[in-house]
Amino acid sequence: MPCVMLIFTARLNAQLPIDSHAKVELITEQNTAPPGRPLWVGVLFRLDQGWHIYWQNPGDSGEPPKVQWQLPSGFAAGTIRWPQPIRLGGGTVVDYGYEGQVLLMAPIQGTSKANAASIPSLSADVSYIVCREMCVPGKAHLTLALPVGGDGGSWRALFERTRLQLPKPVPPGWKVSAESDKVHFIVSVRASPQVQDATFFPLNPGQIEDSSTQDFASIQDGFRLTIKKSNQLIKPISTLHGLIILGPGRAYEVAVPVASR
Amino acid sequence: MAKRFLISIVGVLAVLIAFSAAWAARVGQSAPDFTATDTNGKVHKLSEYNGKFVVLEWSNRGCPYTQKHYSSGNMQRLQREWTGRGVIWLTVISSAPGKQGYVTASEENAYLKQVNAMPTAVLLDPTGALGHLYDAKTTPHIFIISPQGTLIYNGAIDNHPTIDLADVNGAQNYVSAALDEATSGKPVSTPTSRPYGCSVKYPD
Repeated sequence: MPCVMLIFTARLNAQLPIDSHAKVELITEQNTAPPGRPLWVGVLFRLDQGWHIYWQNPGDSGEPPKVQWQLPSGFAAGTIRWPQPIRLGGGTVVDYGYEGQVLLMAPIQGTSKANAASIPSLSADVSYIVCREMCVPGKAHLTLALPVGGDGGSWRALFERTRLQLPKPVPPGWKVSAESDKVHFIVSVRASPQVQDATFFPLNPGQIEDSSTQDFASIQDGFRLTIKKSNQLIKPISTLHGLIILGPGRAYEVAVPVASR
Repeated sequence: MAKRFLISIVGVLAVLIAFSAAWAARVGQSAPDFTATDTNGKVHKLSEYNGKFVVLEWSNRGCPYTQKHYSSGNMQRLQREWTGRGVIWLTVISSAPGKQGYVTASEENAYLKQVNAMPTAVLLDPTGALGHLYDAKTTPHIFIISPQGTLIYNGAIDNHPTIDLADVNGAQNYVSAALDEATSGKPVSTPTSRPYGCSVKYPD
């Protein structure tokens, strides 16, 4: 096992761009996939302090990382599951993304009789932009030979922790509605128990003014968020789609019709 | 004296920022008038260009997204074509001193020569006042103003929001599309888009 890990490390290091401010690795959750179930793989970003990469909607600037899987025929990768982001920056330019460490995971499944456990190897081309005061582009070709020898489950805990940060459907008992006036979207949530704070993260760019402070107000049986519309938005939208985040591990995905006031 | 000058700049900036939400440039409305100095010391006032189309292009030569459009020659091509057709093209640099993309006038003039850039002028905006007035978010970020002084485009340069040079080819260029339509008297069919790029490096 130590021998296998060593080979891995050497290979990955050789592929890392110099001064990228991000260490990028391809990892799997399981040693081998259980029959009939997907094999979960992920691109693990470890960022230098103060540097960030972007969420699927990057906000005012930046661009989300792109992952292109290379799989043997008969296998397909599902979409990336994006963990809940944080707000980045301040002033008049605000972005959505990740600092420190983030795992972008996706399931890989056999399309017919093929069993994910029988994948001999998989690779991915990853391109991303990592920013602090300035932005540096990065590219990596990452390869993983399967099955991972010995204790292949060493990443299991990280996958489990990351799953807790994935958006969930709204809790039962929530009732979400939205309306719009000339300059704002007003999102009202009937929620119990009482919520102390919440922030809306839009999944579509160009709808809200990302840098504006969102006004949180407690109302009877819930809360209300008043969010400034983007200057870029010149036509009404029918649906507001995004996450309502109450705190770590408490991100809820909403797609709510917008009524005009 | 210098200190008092600095304080007054900060004061003006604070006022501009405070009003930026209300005054921010919106398509269909009057583009906010401004006065700014170019790299040759010439003062430009937007209202002096009444009767002409004006393009504002936010730029930061250290930003990979700006580099994509200058290394490929795309930006220079647009500048040459549209200034050749009577459009005023003003490149704006809002990077604060000490931040990426900040340049002195002579550094910028040398760079313009080196890359064969062809804007009408490059406006230096180290306080970020002009950037905040228009709420410029990224480099590049493009605004187009009609001969009547109305903002007719606010957004990206094209529809390929990447740093890949190869993506310039085949992209739908929103700037050319908007100017093509507007100069032939048609309404702009894509008047806004999400600007993409690096954040503008405003003062902290």
